[in-house]
Amino acid sequence: MANTSEQSKSNIDVDTGHDYDGIHEYDNPLPRWWLIIFWVCIAFGYGYWIHFHVAGTGKSEIAELQEQQAEAVKRAANAKEVTDDVLTLLSKDPETTAAGAKLFATNCVVCHGANGEGKIGPNLTDAFWIHGNKPTDIYKTVSTGVLEKGMPAWLPVLGPDRVRTLVAFVITREGLNLPGKEPQGVRVTGGQ
Amino acid sequence: MEQRRIVYNDGIVRLFIAASVIFGIVGMLVGALVATQLVWWQANLGIPYLVFSRIRPLHTNAVIFAFVGNSMFAGVYYSTQRLCKTRMASDFLSKVHFWGWQLIIVAAAVTLPLGITTSKEYAELEWPIDLMIAIVWVVFAVNFFWTLAKRREKNLYVALWFYIATIVTIAILHIVNSFEMPVSMWKSYSAYAGVQDALVQWWYGHNAVAFFLTTPILGMMYYFMPKAAERPVYSYRLSIVHFWALVFLYIWAGPHHLLYTALPEWAQSLGMVFSIALWAPSWGGLINGLLTLRGAWGKLRTDPVIKFFVAALTFYGMSTFEGPLLSIKSVNGLAHYTDWIIGHVHSGALGWNGFMAAGTFYWMVPRLYGTKLHSTKAANTHFWLGTAGIILYVVSMWAAGITQGLMWRALTPDGALLYPSFIETVLAIRPLYVIRLAGGLLYLVGFLVMTWNLYKTAASGKAVDGEAMVVDEAPSTVAVPSAGWLITRPGFLMVLAAVAISMLLGGASLKIAIGILVALLVLGEGAWLWFKSSKRDLTSPAWHTIIEGKPLFFTVLLLVSVLVGGIAQIIPTIFVPSAVPWTGAPQQPYSPLELEGRDIYVREGCYLCHSQMIRTLQSDTLRYGAYSRPEEYIYDHPFQWGSKRNGPDLFRVGGKYPNKWHYLHVIDPRSTSPGSNMPSFAWTQEWKVDTSMTSRKLGVMQKLGVPYTNAEIDAAKDNYRKQAELITADLATQGVEISWDRELVALIAYLQRLGRGPQFGPNAPAAALVAPPAAAPETVPAAPAAPVAPAAPGAPAAPAAPAAPPAEVPGQ
Repeated sequence: MANTSEQSKSNIDVDTGHDYDGIHEYDNPLPRWWLIIFWVCIAFGYGYWIHFHVAGTGKSEIAELQEQQAEAVKRAANAKEVTDDVLTLLSKDPETTAAGAKLFATNCVVCHGANGEGKIGPNLTDAFWIHGNKPTDIYKTVSTGVLEKGMPAWLPVLGPDRVRTLVAFVITREGLNLPGKEPQGVRVTGGQ
Repeated sequence: MEQRRIVYNDGIVRLFIAASVIFGIVGMLVGALVATQLVWWQANLGIPYLVFSRIRPLHTNAVIFAFVGNSMFAGVYYSTQRLCKTRMASDFLSKVHFWGWQLIIVAAAVTLPLGITTSKEYAELEWPIDLMIAIVWVVFAVNFFWTLAKRREKNLYVALWFYIATIVTIAILHIVNSFEMPVSMWKSYSAYAGVQDALVQWWYGHNAVAFFLTTPILGMMYYFMPKAAERPVYSYRLSIVHFWALVFLYIWAGPHHLLYTALPEWAQSLGMVFSIALWAPSWGGLINGLLTLRGAWGKLRTDPVIKFFVAALTFYGMSTFEGPLLSIKSVNGLAHYTDWIIGHVHSGALGWNGFMAAGTFYWMVPRLYGTKLHSTKAANTHFWLGTAGIILYVVSMWAAGITQGLMWRALTPDGALLYPSFIETVLAIRPLYVIRLAGGLLYLVGFLVMTWNLYKTAASGKAVDGEAMVVDEAPSTVAVPSAGWLITRPGFLMVLAAVAISMLLGGASLKIAIGILVALLVLGEGAWLWFKSSKRDLTSPAWHTIIEGKPLFFTVLLLVSVLVGGIAQIIPTIFVPSAVPWTGAPQQPYSPLELEGRDIYVREGCYLCHSQMIRTLQSDTLRYGAYSRPEEYIYDHPFQWGSKRNGPDLFRVGGKYPNKWHYLHVIDPRSTSPGSNMPSFAWTQEWKVDTSMTSRKLGVMQKLGVPYTNAEIDAAKDNYRKQAELITADLATQGVEISWDRELVALIAYLQRLGRGPQFGPNAPAAALVAPPAAAPETVPAAPAAPVAPAAPGAPAAPAAPAAPPAEVPGQ
């Protein structure tokens, strides 16, 4: 259908002789750039289909996702160590607790109150703990959540670094005894 | 040979124009209201019937079917009569079409705010209205084809090809997508479920854009552009090539709305490659329109009609480039569910459809009233207001969509979400929502200027009907080639062979695929050589010219072209084995309470802001949990995957929060999610569920293939109450008193059930738990002393959030 340039010159604005309610039609050749887009896009379609669905050389979207997830698991394994000592130390670092306070404000206040005094979720400032008050206990509770009671698992959402920062801040709440939700869980003696 | 004077039925055209203008204003006002609510949720005034999720479908339906629909009918009725040199076949059918269509629109305007909806986008209207649409469309079709039969013009002009494509394809789309089983006068369930429902819906949804918003408007462009420019159409052969390419390719592109979803990957790939292939055919119309203006570009400065047409074609070219771009999977992964899509459809709706309507109105109204346009200056003002409005709208939506899409996927160095709170990503784009609102309002002001201008024009003249002198020629004695001769022409056979051979690529091995490619190359080369060597006899009409004189043959050919793609995609998904999931444990149907909750979810239009589809993308699985699997949706009549995330995905929200959280959140979203722009649905705690319908609903579901036993259907009401009381008891321990029969209780039950298929139950295989734990509650312990045995399907499932276990006894 494409014409050499000489031919197209002679083909320009040839009237077809059509007359529909006064509308005439030329029969100009299809623009070459348009034809190129047309054929290239169609050829791409064949190539794409064969790559993914015939030759099997293309990765399926699930395979691709699994690779990324495996990568994430590897990264998580390399995360810094979490011990009671490390977390206690972090809770004494004002820069970390300030960052933790910010994370708390965005993610936790809805259930635990603006200052940790509790709302839907338990009071974090009293001496009563449901899942333990050791820093690593708190880290575990925040990380994996208590799904049946509505506490989400924050590790996959926030990542290990931010969970540590957040826990450092939560540790600073204990013992403030702010008026809020009634005590829940067991009284922890020898707490801070 | 006898000369006769005929008078066209232009009264019907005047009516359609008036309806289009009035509903255009209404549709855009509702649009402005929903846009306002995204910035200030309070703009719903606390009235259930004005809440975003109920009137957003009203906006889309009003603009698509009332505004563009009526403008398209005006253009079709005006041009068809003139292109056929005959009056519309039946004035009565024209009237039935007009008033029937307006009745449908009024029915939509009443039912949608009432929450009467099927929840299938752009097909929300319930089954009685679906029937009305089918009837009115058939009336239109009969009137149109009857007119073609009475034509005095031997061949059909290209505009009419596009009209035929519209009428035939919309009828198929509407009927196939509307298979639904009524429960009552105003409630039905889709006959399809889950993946299949999604595929059929977006086959419909995408092709409604193609065959309602594109092909008829292209047809109008082919009539009104050369008329206004007083220049010949640029290329007849381009018309032929891009018309057939467009109608054949368009129908395949629907799955591009479902990329990275639970739709089988082969269907997604088809959706993507056909969308890309659509780029050139779409631009064929653009070229033919703009190049028709060669030699008449001067009119661009003086004639508002040409101005509107040129801008409309430019926006058309822009959106038909953007469409293929958005269909590329990696681009779509970013853009899907964001405002980029909203921007994309509005550059089409405001730029292409709105401006084409305006251009044709400015051209027709002076002629329909035998006068001149009242004010060219006002038309120019309309043009600039509209253009500025579109640019503000589209650019702000691009920015909002890309910003939010990037925020959703942004990760911290240790691989977690950088913006884990969804609200953060909403607040970030709020200023852009204000700009969008301003853009939309500017466009509306321009439209009002047009309304005033058209009114003044009409008032200054008096209704006149077009006339023409025609000659009734004796029927031609030249033998017309038969259909059999036509379909055995080498050119036609070669195209047919190329398509047929290509279809074999589905499920081919590599060797066969190479064979197919070689065969295609040989065929192409052969066609090329044959084409070059054959000296066409210019005195005998070409193949296509012959079929232009045979509307029936033309229509059959068109029907086949559009059916190929639909059948190739929809039929195979019926045979996808989905009843038994990969875990081996059967999917549980919804309990009666959950089913009623689901119906409330549908009624309130939750799907308009919340998707239920976790894509196979790392950022989606991090944020929402394990990716969705097709078998998890097999009892979803209709599917609720959604297409926009104004709020987070809800697919695995079940068990994520306590019942109390949902209770607070539905009544006052900001109490649990500060900064949220979600409306309050407080009325659900007042309104009661009519449980007398519950058994019937289960019965209809059973007929659709959901495995409820007859005993479960009979016990629906009792089971409903049992499960509801578990939830109210749990809420009572949290200090919330609510009666078991309130809608909110059912809604909570449904939300707590979401995404908790068998693979996440107590006996889940380890593989399922690889998913982030946030979304995969591994055990759902039964509530202590729960007065229910939640074993059989249909009976209440395990209570979502049990009452506080004894370990949690408050201290002294």
